[in-house]
Amino acid sequence: MIVKLPNPVDYAVPIFVLMILIEMIWARRNAPEKYEPRDTLTSLGFGLGSTVAGALTAGLVASMFYWGYQYRLIEIGWAWWAWIACFIIDDLAYYVFHRSAHRVRWFWASHVNHHSSQHYNLSTALRQSWTSFIALGFIFRLPLVFIGFHPAMVFFCGAINLIYQFWIHTEAIKRFPAWFEYVMNTPSHHRVHHATNPRYLDSNYAGTFIIWDRMFGTFAAENDEEQIRYGIVRQLGTFNLLYSVFHEWIAIAKDVWSAPWRYKLGYLWRPPGWSHDGSRDTSDSIKARWNERQQKAVTPAE
Amino acid sequence: MEGVLGEIAKLGASLAAILFLAWMARRLDLGGDIRIRDEAHARALADEVMCGFDPIDIAIDKAGIGALLRDAQGRQMVIRRHGAHFTGRILDGSTQSRLDQNFLTVGTSDSRFGKVTLNLGDKAQIWAAGLRRISA
Repeated sequence: MIVKLPNPVDYAVPIFVLMILIEMIWARRNAPEKYEPRDTLTSLGFGLGSTVAGALTAGLVASMFYWGYQYRLIEIGWAWWAWIACFIIDDLAYYVFHRSAHRVRWFWASHVNHHSSQHYNLSTALRQSWTSFIALGFIFRLPLVFIGFHPAMVFFCGAINLIYQFWIHTEAIKRFPAWFEYVMNTPSHHRVHHATNPRYLDSNYAGTFIIWDRMFGTFAAENDEEQIRYGIVRQLGTFNLLYSVFHEWIAIAKDVWSAPWRYKLGYLWRPPGWSHDGSRDTSDSIKARWNERQQKAVTPAE
Repeated sequence: MEGVLGEIAKLGASLAAILFLAWMARRLDLGGDIRIRDEAHARALADEVMCGFDPIDIAIDKAGIGALLRDAQGRQMVIRRHGAHFTGRILDGSTQSRLDQNFLTVGTSDSRFGKVTLNLGDKAQIWAAGLRRISA
């Protein structure tokens, strides 16, 4: 049975615009460099394109979810507790998706769009991918319909999760009370996730609940003594929207084309930065080099 | 048909909101005129571009808009402004350079990164020679 629920994102967009405006005024008064007009325009262009791409592929994704729902294990229905359970399990699915999006280059090619700004403000939150359908990001949510959650409920919870993640893309908020920081994803935790500082790479994948990172060993707390640098390990150096959208896909195509046959697939499923001759940096190699330097700094030379 | 028109209306409203916000960012004069302050700053920026890059020789543009750096292994790096931040690249065999008195223009193998012209004063000739050795 096809159920049509309202899309909460449609109602949230005017609030997004208002919050960005308020943050811009805050930046004007406190730190004008937190925004850069060209970067903001690129981020918002990402957001608009992502909406169009999502609308074009929504039918296909919905068809797959309704197909999967036919083979559900149990009948969960629409009880109040089902919504809560769906939201929590969907958030866990998001954690798995997000971790994969940073560790598998095929998924990263799409997700890198969200990280490609050197700024961290509310407009960065709207820097969403145009190619998430090609990257197959939706498959991480499919298990929920096989369990028995109705596709409409899964889409609705996914949208609420997306809305939650909007407001945490800010430097205007420092910290919340400890109990809140312990359970929920917050601006502090998500700043760490967007950081390129070696100590923070590959951490804080949470969507709404930071507890997943605490459970699975990927949590890193923000260190107030180290200034956070945002973006990607190899910054784009351009505000060109189309290049920003497709650069990693182009790089994958070039790598697969030029690599020896037995290494071609490695450029699709191995971590971003992996190369068959070891000539490039992955987040692991950067962290290892940084750790080595830290140890040398604390261990006096003999 | 009604649904399609609704989607187009939403798209139009989103586009208008985007243009409004981009205009506001300019109107509020957001961004910043950032410069490389000194060698320590250049060193920190180099470490951001490539973790562990430890320069032994640094040439900063007179206005602080960019820098060239060389480490003990002979690797050279160019840093330039990008909006309100800096970004850089390790220079390789495809590096292009052009010397015009005190001004050295450097282009990397990454065409999107673009070219940067640095006023390096009397150091420009020495760095130009160094860059020619990489490209040779």
